[in-house]
Amino acid sequence: MLRIKSLSVTLGGFAVRDVSLEIQRGEYFIILGPTGAGKTILLETIAGIQAPDTGIILLGNRDITSTEPRLRNIGIVYQDYMLFPHLTVKDNIAFGLNQRKIPIDQQHAIIDEMCTLLEIAHLSGRYPGSLSGGEQQRVALARALVLKPEILLLDEPMSALDGRTRERMRMELSRIRRLTGTTIVQITHHFDDVFTLADRIAIMREGRIVQVGETSEVFLHPIDTFVAEFLGIGNLIKGQSSRSGNIARITTGSGPVFYAASSIYGEVVATLHPEDVILSQEPFTSSARNCLLGVVSEIIPIGSTVRVIIDVGFPLMALLTRESCHDLHLGQGCRVYATFKASAVHVIPVTPQECKKN
Amino acid sequence: MRRISLSLTYLIFLSISAIILGLVFYSPMPSLAGSLANHEIQFAVMLSLVTSVLSTLICIAIAIPVAYALARYEFFGKRVTTLALTLPLTLPPLVAGIALLLFFGTTPWGKALEAAGFAVIFTPLGIIVAEVFVNIPYMIRILRSAFSTINPRYEHVAKTLGCTDTGAFCKVTLPMARHGLLAGAVITWSKAMGEFGAVLMVAGATTMKTETLPIALYLNISTGDLDLAVAAATILILISLITLCVVEYFDRGVHVF
Repeated sequence: MLRIKSLSVTLGGFAVRDVSLEIQRGEYFIILGPTGAGKTILLETIAGIQAPDTGIILLGNRDITSTEPRLRNIGIVYQDYMLFPHLTVKDNIAFGLNQRKIPIDQQHAIIDEMCTLLEIAHLSGRYPGSLSGGEQQRVALARALVLKPEILLLDEPMSALDGRTRERMRMELSRIRRLTGTTIVQITHHFDDVFTLADRIAIMREGRIVQVGETSEVFLHPIDTFVAEFLGIGNLIKGQSSRSGNIARITTGSGPVFYAASSIYGEVVATLHPEDVILSQEPFTSSARNCLLGVVSEIIPIGSTVRVIIDVGFPLMALLTRESCHDLHLGQGCRVYATFKASAVHVIPVTPQECKKN
Repeated sequence: MRRISLSLTYLIFLSISAIILGLVFYSPMPSLAGSLANHEIQFAVMLSLVTSVLSTLICIAIAIPVAYALARYEFFGKRVTTLALTLPLTLPPLVAGIALLLFFGTTPWGKALEAAGFAVIFTPLGIIVAEVFVNIPYMIRILRSAFSTINPRYEHVAKTLGCTDTGAFCKVTLPMARHGLLAGAVITWSKAMGEFGAVLMVAGATTMKTETLPIALYLNISTGDLDLAVAAATILILISLITLCVVEYFDRGVHVF
């Protein structure tokens, strides 16, 4: 549906270098990357706001590389929403319809439908300045969506929202996507967005796409250490979460079971920072809920610390100081107990449906 | 410190008020009313109004695209251009006036314009030219400041919603800069109403021909007709007061200097 071939753009200190991407119709595609990776420029180039130095952008079979933004039918919602402050909510939403000279009576019907979908009908007479972040976000979405764009571009849509609003917005986006079937390309650095929303993700670094793939694929098989580190992956464990008292019991595909202080159930990815794992030769009584027996499979020194991979049925990474590693007489093949607190395990739902039960 | 600084503040406030009010109440009311009805003063008011409004409109028309360029684009020689555009701001109006006089009076371009029917020297048209030259830097600076506080992404969004470049500017950026535009227009207009030095040089001081309010004040004080001079001054004070109120009201996001 959207095909980008060898796209390069330079703008001030930022650049996109030789990016090629294919995004399918109806797909929710998320581009992840650190600040300054060129994500926003890529988005703006897709929208036609920035002109590429080289490369081709195809929408369907149409070459839109040098088409004006107004003729592309691609919507964009910026991080700070950019609602026109001198217009009411209703006039903001009607802006694009007016540009397209849609008759007023048809406009009413379209706007009403969109306002109902996004639950913002009660805001229509207000000015953007008096709206909360979440409300502004929904108005900005409505303004872009009334034109039924072929692609909706979202620039860090959640970053300006507080935790609870962000969670609600995530579900909102998921619902909008389901109801409208709009192809969505989002940039973010918030991993929860990725697990809840994305079909596929791309990781961007210094203007280049480093890895593209299905979300779980990229998280489970990061192509290089940059991706792994950027994704903050120490331990990413896929499993099935079920209720066990007040916490979650996570059963991994390969057998071992551990607990997480979470109320997210269903198919999940559990993350655990390596520094939260305590290694011991004997099990010991503590407040930590998880103690798994495993075999050291790899010891990797990194500066003053040591990364120890223990096979507990799945590879579990622990981070120790060199001293601790030495004192424990750790070596490849050693039997060792890995202890970690249930509250150190972060559970991320794999599908939006799971999220709703939260 | 508090006592000294507050005392000084009040002292200055009282002095300014006393000096200004002393001028306004110099003539007894009936005499002031009579002076205001004087046809020379009325001619000066009309001429000042017409020239200042026209010069303000010209300033706006030129300043909008120029200020936008300065706020949005990087281009070769931007610093020098900005400096040159700012120069009339610090130039004494008399000097600006004599420069204009020489340009329109002695250069081939000036003579060509005169031959084409645009006589500037010692004509009402010269008043407008002088006012535009002296005041346009204010308009440009105020508008540039107003435009540069507006995130270009507003225009980006407008373009994805169906606007052309110009459309996005007219429908989004310009309305968002309306306070700056209004403040700039009022300041420019009020400065044009009060412009003396440059107008004197370019348009001369001919009674009932190029006699704006400040020129009327000057001519009448020269001939000792104090009542008419005070009448002209009173009108100018009124204009200053109105300007001050309007600018204070729309001051948000607008920086003159």
